[in-house]
Amino acid sequence: MRTDPTRINGELLTPVLILVALGLVLLAARLSRNRFRPPGYVGYFWVFLLVCVVADFFTFAPAVWLMAIVSFRALREYFSLVDLRLEDRWGILGAYLAIPFMFYLIQIDWYGFFIVSIPVYVFVIIPFLVALGDSRGQGSLLSIGAIDFGLFFFVYGLGHVAYLAHFSTWLTVQLLLAVAACNLATAVTAKQGRIAGLVLSCLACVALTLGLRDWTAMPTGPAVFLAVLIPALVQMGDYTVGVLERDLGITAADLEPGRGRVLDSLKSYLFTAPIVFHVLRWVMKFGDLVQRHEG
Amino acid sequence: MKVDLRRLLVLLPHLLVLRPLLHLVFGLNVRGRENLPVRGPCILAANHNSHLDILAIYAALPVRMVGSAHVVAAHDYFARRRLLFAVVDYLFKPIWVDRESRGDDAVTRMDTILDADESIVIFPEGTRGEAGQLARFRAGVGKLAGDHPEVPLLPVYLRGTERALPRKSSLPLPIWQHVTIGPPQQLVGGIRDITRGLRESICALERSQIASRHKRRPERHQAFVVAVLGIDGSGKSTLSRRLATEHSGAARSCLIGDSLELFAGGEPLAAQPLLKEKLRRWVGALAKDAKSLARYKVPKLTDLLLRDAMLGEARRWYGPDLVVMDGSPLLNMTAWSVLYRPELMSAEFCARAMAILAGKGPAKDPLYGEFPELKVMRRLGLTHLALPDAVVFLDLPPAVSMERIRNRGEKMQVHETEQKLGRLRDAYLLVVEVAREQLGLPAFVLDGCRDPEAIAAEAGELVAHLRIPARGEAG
Repeated sequence: MRTDPTRINGELLTPVLILVALGLVLLAARLSRNRFRPPGYVGYFWVFLLVCVVADFFTFAPAVWLMAIVSFRALREYFSLVDLRLEDRWGILGAYLAIPFMFYLIQIDWYGFFIVSIPVYVFVIIPFLVALGDSRGQGSLLSIGAIDFGLFFFVYGLGHVAYLAHFSTWLTVQLLLAVAACNLATAVTAKQGRIAGLVLSCLACVALTLGLRDWTAMPTGPAVFLAVLIPALVQMGDYTVGVLERDLGITAADLEPGRGRVLDSLKSYLFTAPIVFHVLRWVMKFGDLVQRHEG
Repeated sequence: MKVDLRRLLVLLPHLLVLRPLLHLVFGLNVRGRENLPVRGPCILAANHNSHLDILAIYAALPVRMVGSAHVVAAHDYFARRRLLFAVVDYLFKPIWVDRESRGDDAVTRMDTILDADESIVIFPEGTRGEAGQLARFRAGVGKLAGDHPEVPLLPVYLRGTERALPRKSSLPLPIWQHVTIGPPQQLVGGIRDITRGLRESICALERSQIASRHKRRPERHQAFVVAVLGIDGSGKSTLSRRLATEHSGAARSCLIGDSLELFAGGEPLAAQPLLKEKLRRWVGALAKDAKSLARYKVPKLTDLLLRDAMLGEARRWYGPDLVVMDGSPLLNMTAWSVLYRPELMSAEFCARAMAILAGKGPAKDPLYGEFPELKVMRRLGLTHLALPDAVVFLDLPPAVSMERIRNRGEKMQVHETEQKLGRLRDAYLLVVEVAREQLGLPAFVLDGCRDPEAIAAEAGELVAHLRIPARGEAG
């Protein structure tokens, strides 16, 4: 029921070609430069693409739970790195339980509850749970802040990728490709600095969003706006998570399992996913969303 | 080959249920698996905080050891729950010890196990204790190791288990488990000495691990690395040894020279033999015997690379506060290139070569064409040498140093001629200047002609002065 099958069959070839081409570019980047330290984001890029493919060609439920696993892995690594106390166990448990809850809301498409559940309900429950675990209160405030931060980015933020896939596969693919293009542009212009990276990212994204218009059904203006917005958000995310990594004692040179691998590979999506979702859904109001609601 | 059905029935739940569960729910990261012996028995001694400890250790072991490793477990604790007792008894084949009685049969059981080439996992604390704190060790492990000096004794540090399933909780939470297996310890002395030595080695692993864990109040444990440079005969080995000894007053210091040595409280500590150290000594001997500069090059390069690797090993296994290096592989390589391509030597060349060796250089550089071995090193991923935190260069006219070398009475090495040492000295001076001006490292040139006492006093003062900021961060 999600998409019109006639629309897919005829026009499948071109997006597949784009995907293959981009895959080759990423593969080449991985093989030639920094051979022993491949860029971390490549791993989750493919998982996200898999989510889109599953969502579009099979059913939506497995795609959602695939994203739930990504979210769980990210949250688990974050909780392992942050200095949380033994007294915070109930709070951590609550945070983990929020994952199935949130992704179930996505699966049954209860948009209104999904969007308020973390900011309203979970952010009320977590402090309560932490306080229950430790009535003395030494360091509770920092623990609550640390748990809420993880929940917000790794469950709520990443949940938006899944919800976007629910609304429109091609808008999600466009987002993923744009983030990948930004990562690639930043890697290529590493020597020239952030500004050059931003400019190249914008150019690549403009080409991408305009090129994908046939599938995303996006008018030129919004497409260009999105192509400028995404690189800025990617840079913000990369920079912020880089600072947090330094605080957690992670160096990009040696990412070990359980010590920054997941966090590092997801950093570009954390800021991008929720904001792009919001812009598409409420500011631009077009595409599959509008069709769905009108139909 | 006959399939041992019984062993298979024990292996299957381990490999199909416990291991995947540990990986999927908690996540498992094992460091130092290479320290386990390839064959034969071993004794693994770990800190104990949680019921997950034994699962984490078993998941870190190679398959061949899973059926044949026995954990020392408290009979009085497990006997209270019959089902749990049966499961543990089946899966881990424990050596049951009653903590109240003397346990002579347990000792004979351990002897038979080790004689049968099977391994033992032991938690010397005896009980789970406070989360994240190493309790007093019981002497049993010292007796076991003392009775079997031929069996390798490996310290293991477990982190994450105390948060995933702490003692007072029955609810496991998904938190990553890190298992660090240290190098085999060769401890001598009585039962007490062995127990103390083992506890120290686990403490050292703990310190190096805590350094890589987030703390709200940071207790960064970062070793301060001082490199002592100089041409042959300048007295740099003597100076670095004195620095390492004298600065081990309140802390642990480590000397990486011809061998790796540890000091604490001004006294040498027994350092455990590391494989890389043996390799380095062998390669170093090759370099010393080389007949020509061309034959000298490859062993010397390997020697320097191994020296750099030993710095990583020292940091990982011993967690020292100060490391004194006799020479710095990165700076030495840069300076030594003058013997091979004297016409290239310049400040600009040094800066470029140092950037490449530290892994910060561009992918394409004409230097790769000039030095094919640099290209090979990059291909192999070896151009990530460590920069020291401070550099001390002992300056000496080559004539004086030749005199000193002759007085030593040892065989002369290929590069030990007045002309070559002179060129090396100039190159070192240039490298030190580049390190100071372009990399912002504290680098000092000391006059090496003076009395060794005076030099040591001056260098000691410099190092003490430099380390103050590092200490302030920790305190």
